Amino acid sequence: MTDDPTINPAEGNQVLAAEYVLGVLGTEERREVERRLAQEPALAREVAFWEERLGGLADAVAPVPPPPQLWSRINAVISVPPPPVAAPRSSRPSLWQSLEFWRAFGIGAGALATASIAGLTYLGLAPSVAPPPRAPPLMATLGGAAGQPNFVAAITATGDGLVVVPAALLTTDPRAYELWLIPVGETTPRSLGLIEPGQPIKLTIPPDLASRLTPDATLAVSLEPPGGSPTGAPTGPVIAAGKLASL
Amino acid sequence: MDADASRRQLAAALARVAGGDRRALRIVYQDTSAKLFGVCLRILNDRGEAEDVLQEVYVTVWRKAATFDPTRASPITWLVAIARNRAIDRLRVTAVSRRMEPIEAADAVSDPAPVALERVELTQQHARLAGCLEELEPRHSAAIRAAFLDGITYEELAERMRVPLGTMKSWIRRGLLKLRACLEA
Repeated sequence: MTDDPTINPAEGNQVLAAEYVLGVLGTEERREVERRLAQEPALAREVAFWEERLGGLADAVAPVPPPPQLWSRINAVISVPPPPVAAPRSSRPSLWQSLEFWRAFGIGAGALATASIAGLTYLGLAPSVAPPPRAPPLMATLGGAAGQPNFVAAITATGDGLVVVPAALLTTDPRAYELWLIPVGETTPRSLGLIEPGQPIKLTIPPDLASRLTPDATLAVSLEPPGGSPTGAPTGPVIAAGKLASL
Repeated sequence: MDADASRRQLAAALARVAGGDRRALRIVYQDTSAKLFGVCLRILNDRGEAEDVLQEVYVTVWRKAATFDPTRASPITWLVAIARNRAIDRLRVTAVSRRMEPIEAADAVSDPAPVALERVELTQQHARLAGCLEELEPRHSAAIRAAFLDGITYEELAERMRVPLGTMKSWIRRGLLKLRACLEA
């Protein structure tokens, strides 16, 4: 972090913690600091020091009342009951049922839309190549937690297939990459099958699920044991998610 | 209510939130949402984005309230840190599109006068911070304030204040080390 030769290593940690709190670091550097915070109490103390001391700067920001309906949204999210399979003692909503969780992943979808057209053209799916369109093609950019696009998914012209293209070089993980659909208005993920992190793949979607591939339906990728989730529901971490939208 | 009483009340409400009390979260929300919304709005400069982030912030508070340690941080500091971190992460995601927009008037940051700082009742610690910032070179403290309030990267700060990236890094790092020494003195 400190390429300045006049800052010594001890000061380096102090500066890094301050830079993190100040907010001048990029996303990757922020995640790196957060990883270290869990293991380095000294760095965590520095961050706490700066959060406490610099926090006063926020006094310069005038309070702005949020819109009245925002509390209802928050209340709705925290009121979601835990799913039946979850530990009954927990009163907290599960990750999978949390609207907030999905929203966090849904952001930035479409950021890659332009770049993705090139990929779709290559696959023969671009509007100019497709037969007379019946409806605008649906696609989704599946972003990771930091917003980086990991996969691009597009529904085929016939409506019963889904092409999934890796958009980033993912760290190779021995686990299986499983694609899920959360239809609009539903909270239960439905498996669409396994995909490949290293190459485009075309999945055939059963008719009952194909009809649910609608705008705003969520697609997500989780890491699962070889062969896919043994339970029929996601069991591993979600590495990418995004919503279907018309191109 | 004085600052100490409000701090104690907020810490007590957070403890109840940690126990799963939704009414306590409502109290925390009522007491702090305008402040946190202002912080998010300042960073994101977009009401819709700020509303989404504010929602995430209170859902995070709901889930993470048990990790709040009142012996180590003040409740409002903890909440502001969550709000800023969420808003900054969101800002980084949307930064690509924002960079396409015309850069705001550069003089937006050349006015570091802490108008609101003078209006609010400063706690001792905040007064100390203000005093230590005064001791820095004005451009350095202006850069530190702008970085904190707007959550922007070194690159954007350098662009805004029209100095080379290396210069900006040096200003901020030296400023921070000097600030640290002053705050600890």
